[in-house]
Amino acid sequence: MGRALKLTDILVTIIIALIFGLVYKLWGPLYGFVSVFGLHAEQLIYGMWFIAATVAYLIIRKPGVALLAEVAAAHGEFIFGGEWGVTTLIFGLGQGLAAELVFAAVRYKKFDMFTVSLAAIASAGASILIDFYYGYIGDLALWNLLLLIGIRCVGAVLIAGIFAYFIVQALEKTKVTNLIRPVSSNDYKDLDK
Amino acid sequence: MQLDFSFRETWLHKINPSFKFILIVALFIHILFIHNINIIINYMIGTAILYILFTGHPWKRLLIISIPFILIFLTSSTSMIFFGKGEVTWFKWGLIHITEEGFFRGLHLGFRGLVFATLGIIFALTTRPVYLFYSLMQQLKLKPKYAYSFMAAVRLIPIMFEELQTIRYALKVRGVQSQKGILGFYHLLKSYSIPMLSQSIRRAHRIAVAMEAKRFSDTTKRTYYYLVGFSKLDVYLLIYFVVVIGTSYYFANSYSYFPIQDVRYNN
Repeated sequence: MGRALKLTDILVTIIIALIFGLVYKLWGPLYGFVSVFGLHAEQLIYGMWFIAATVAYLIIRKPGVALLAEVAAAHGEFIFGGEWGVTTLIFGLGQGLAAELVFAAVRYKKFDMFTVSLAAIASAGASILIDFYYGYIGDLALWNLLLLIGIRCVGAVLIAGIFAYFIVQALEKTKVTNLIRPVSSNDYKDLDK
Repeated sequence: MQLDFSFRETWLHKINPSFKFILIVALFIHILFIHNINIIINYMIGTAILYILFTGHPWKRLLIISIPFILIFLTSSTSMIFFGKGEVTWFKWGLIHITEEGFFRGLHLGFRGLVFATLGIIFALTTRPVYLFYSLMQQLKLKPKYAYSFMAAVRLIPIMFEELQTIRYALKVRGVQSQKGILGFYHLLKSYSIPMLSQSIRRAHRIAVAMEAKRFSDTTKRTYYYLVGFSKLDVYLLIYFVVVIGTSYYFANSYSYFPIQDVRYNN
């Protein structure tokens, strides 16, 4: 069973990523709109920017997919003329790497809600780390900084963890995921029946 | 759908895409180390000149594209202005605490966001994605299976839009009523995203199988339809940014807008 990415895996990953890249692009204005409410309300929807990695991982279940998806989605947002420009690429790379590390830690064998939620939190952590340099968030008042980190993590789990998991579950009912997932030992058992 | 997106081709279009890409990433990293608000304002003027004069798009379109820039400025700066650390208090009301240092740090972030946005939009407006991927394959040795996958995927986007429209009609003709509340929103999202995703994955899978059969993933002895090389225009762009950065630093020292050298809190 080859675990390296084939062209099929890559193309499917990128297609999924581009759909989310479009969502990312549309999310920018929404984010700007919500941020008007103040007190980091916008951080609750920040989690949408981590979703490509978790969804792609849940669908294709191969190493490297999460990183590729997040970078491709960021790139998609970039070529659709996303407001944040190059920034998205750096954030995408960081977030994708963070999610990938979590999936590597479970050795690409666990596909439950807890694992993807963990990956979502890792992505949020990476984005916060980049924000320390990019957004000087270390210079916010302490309560405000903690509020930002807390809300961003909650949003990440809600959107990139739980919501992503339900989307893929619904997608599994269409049987489309069987096309692209690597065959598991259960599939071989089914053949023997 | 007829969308007029014609533009004049300028020297920025002819620059090697890989080079342009690496240059912009390098500029990004460099900008992270600029903490002087005067420099960043000059820098912004330098990139704005490139955006307005040399992207080759009509000024009306440039104006429309720059509307979201206001949002970028606001989202990047407001939190820091209202809640940033600082010694000199200007205004305090409940949780909001505006200080001089926080205010200028917020402005700095706003301008920095604008510089990044302009650089990004310059790249997006002057680079054809196909050339970018051919260049990435030729100059940066990106594996063809990634590059061709990406190019194929980009071509599938218009089909996705068509599909979105079809789903909308299908839901309408069946009289699907959207419920209110968060559960209704979830159902709405599901009724769009699941057919979109499943159809796209099926289509991508079919195309990928065909592409593999046609040896698109082959790496040995490839030839390319588009040959992308370097030219002296690449050097001009490099010189442009060296000059912009140089003058930004020079003018920030001799004619500063604000008497602030570093916007960070502890230094």
